[in-house]
Amino acid sequence: MEVAGSQDITQELSKEMFRAVETGIKEEGERLIELQIGPAHPGSGHMRILAWVDGDVVVRCDPDIGFVHRTIEKLSENRAYIKTIPLVERPSLLDTTPMTIGYVNAVEKLMGVDVPPRAKYLRTILAEITRIASHFYGIGILAIFLGHSTGFMWAFGDREVMIELATMLTGARITYAYAIPGGVRRDMPQSFPDAVEKGLRYIEKRLKDWEKIFLNNPVVERRLRDVGILKPNVARMLGVTGPNVRASGIDYDVRMVEPYEAYDEIDFMIPVAEEGDSYARGLIRFKEIEQSINIIRQAIKKIPDGEIISPQISRLFNPLMKKIYAEQRRVKLPSLMATLKPPKGEAMARVEAGRGEALFHVVSDGSTNPYRFRFVTPSFRNVILFKYLIPGHRVADIPAIYGSLDYFPPEADR
Amino acid sequence: MMAVVIGPFEIPGRLIYDFLHIFILPGFGAVLVLVILIIWAERKMAGLIQLRYGPLHVSRRFGGILQLVADLIRYSFQEFIVPRNVDRIAYLTGPALALIFSIIPVAFIPVTPYVEPPIYISSNILVVLALLSIAPIFIIVTGYASDNKFAFIGSLREAFLMISYEIPFIISILSMALLYRSLDMSGAVDFQARYLPGILLNPSAALVAYIAIIRITGRFPFEISEAESELVMGPYTEYSGLMYGVSMGIGYIKLYIYSMLFSIVFLGGWLPLVSGDPVSSYLIGGLIILIKTSILMLISVFLRSVYPRYRVDQAIRLGWSQIFFLSIVSMIWSLALSYVLR
Repeated sequence: MEVAGSQDITQELSKEMFRAVETGIKEEGERLIELQIGPAHPGSGHMRILAWVDGDVVVRCDPDIGFVHRTIEKLSENRAYIKTIPLVERPSLLDTTPMTIGYVNAVEKLMGVDVPPRAKYLRTILAEITRIASHFYGIGILAIFLGHSTGFMWAFGDREVMIELATMLTGARITYAYAIPGGVRRDMPQSFPDAVEKGLRYIEKRLKDWEKIFLNNPVVERRLRDVGILKPNVARMLGVTGPNVRASGIDYDVRMVEPYEAYDEIDFMIPVAEEGDSYARGLIRFKEIEQSINIIRQAIKKIPDGEIISPQISRLFNPLMKKIYAEQRRVKLPSLMATLKPPKGEAMARVEAGRGEALFHVVSDGSTNPYRFRFVTPSFRNVILFKYLIPGHRVADIPAIYGSLDYFPPEADR
Repeated sequence: MMAVVIGPFEIPGRLIYDFLHIFILPGFGAVLVLVILIIWAERKMAGLIQLRYGPLHVSRRFGGILQLVADLIRYSFQEFIVPRNVDRIAYLTGPALALIFSIIPVAFIPVTPYVEPPIYISSNILVVLALLSIAPIFIIVTGYASDNKFAFIGSLREAFLMISYEIPFIISILSMALLYRSLDMSGAVDFQARYLPGILLNPSAALVAYIAIIRITGRFPFEISEAESELVMGPYTEYSGLMYGVSMGIGYIKLYIYSMLFSIVFLGGWLPLVSGDPVSSYLIGGLIILIKTSILMLISVFLRSVYPRYRVDQAIRLGWSQIFFLSIVSMIWSLALSYVLR
């Protein structure tokens, strides 16, 4: 794709996207109402949506973000490398594993550490478990934004199955911090493959029920079809990512484009839809859940035996750590890691998180803290869609489009 | 009816009946008990479908049936905040008047052919329809008086939807009156006793009336004017405490009255009641109507766990195209049928 100048992009966008109705009314009055949806509104999340409404039609919409900005990037400059691992998973609490994997990959590139294949597979399994949980969360929010309480409750109930599996693997429910430079923290328990198979069977059974009550529900279809259509060229220009761009017919997925961990050894497909409307975005998430189930099954089958931590790290273990590692297959970080000083340089890694591509750029000046850590989250790249998808639609479509984008404000604000 | 003598006082039977009618069986007592039970059943059914318990901890032995009572007590003792910018008179009287006009029709609805309702008017179907169509005006007033953009949009939606669903509803009920050749509910039930229940005589009218009831009482999939994710709480956004509880109750009380009207016009009212004794016919007839009403209410509240809500323009389009068309069809069908059954 050729790189267009910013001027061209603006013109192109205004031609393509701005369905904003020119009413000629500039001030709020009898016709034009300025709606401030949020930050304390049941349908806004941690953000404010400024919508100018003419009658029932939104003529202009501005997402106002930053209400939950937590200075993750700046905080990481003041702490040791390993202490940033739990930090990067805080912004997107529903989608933690890909974030840690991305950061750890960047640090590993800086340090020049190799990861044993078993650890790669374990990371992949956990990342896909988290993806299913994250997609269920997004579907649940989409359902309750449409007023579908059953979808909301079901999504959270089914997500619980995945969280239980992750708990079995990592010992934590949400914030796993499972990936560490050079490997993972724990090996999987003996009973894990059986539990995974049981959980996946349950989810597959539930997906059929989901089809009946949600995807084929006539009211859901009427609410989502032809609402918030994102055209492929617009999606490309806006830099949208994740399931939202795949619902517009662009098969871009970091797992395919630039495989990390064990994804290059696993046979899976990327679901793509052509319509680009809210319904397609919801549907894509269900299809991705199916693919994630497929990936987890293959990974469980193919997982090799061996170490779960790189020998470069495990040779630093003291006798007690070695004993724990040998007996319980748990990794304790050697004390040298706390004052880890990667060589001068910079490294970049990207991963496909549940909501799209996440980018991690770590710059090292040879000290114990990162000199600079740049963290671009998928939600931050998708939030621009509020501005372009909502105008021209009705007030009731705001939550429908919001839900279909699976936008998560804390993730965007970091 | 017999008079009851207590000491030196002789209380006329008519007075006792009126009291019972208004305060016990179809009136306030039954409304209160049924609304509590229906909301409990709604939450329990939703819980069953959504793989959770529903209300449980208040009166655990009875499956949390007193949860709503606990909620009502909480609402009554919560601080009631009146925002500074509201139109105070309209703000305070709006929900109360909407509630009153939703409950008044109970005095006109007979529950037995042998005793007249407290206020007897021979065209009581028309009176009940007229009284029921007053209540939405006050809901619109509350939204306007609240001085809140969400409440304003919610009340506008309520106004649009009311017009587009109340007209088909009234047409479908009047088409049944045309078929029964009576605007009296007793006459309607008599006709159904001679032939068939109204729902079989004119199914399209029943369908229109039922869909319109779901919309008018704000059940899913037409819970549009209070849409939480868009409008917070619609017309009632600025209410708190007891007034919020009242505004929550209006929908259910309207559902009760509308379901009762539906059960009389379409489901044969107190049929198959045969007794001629005023006392027992009041009890049995009232109970039969109550059962039919509560089944209708249960179906209406069950829809919450199946459907999301329509968009406002989709609902209005549905109301003015399919539903309105069906109501006209049912009117023509009634005309044809009344010619045949002459």
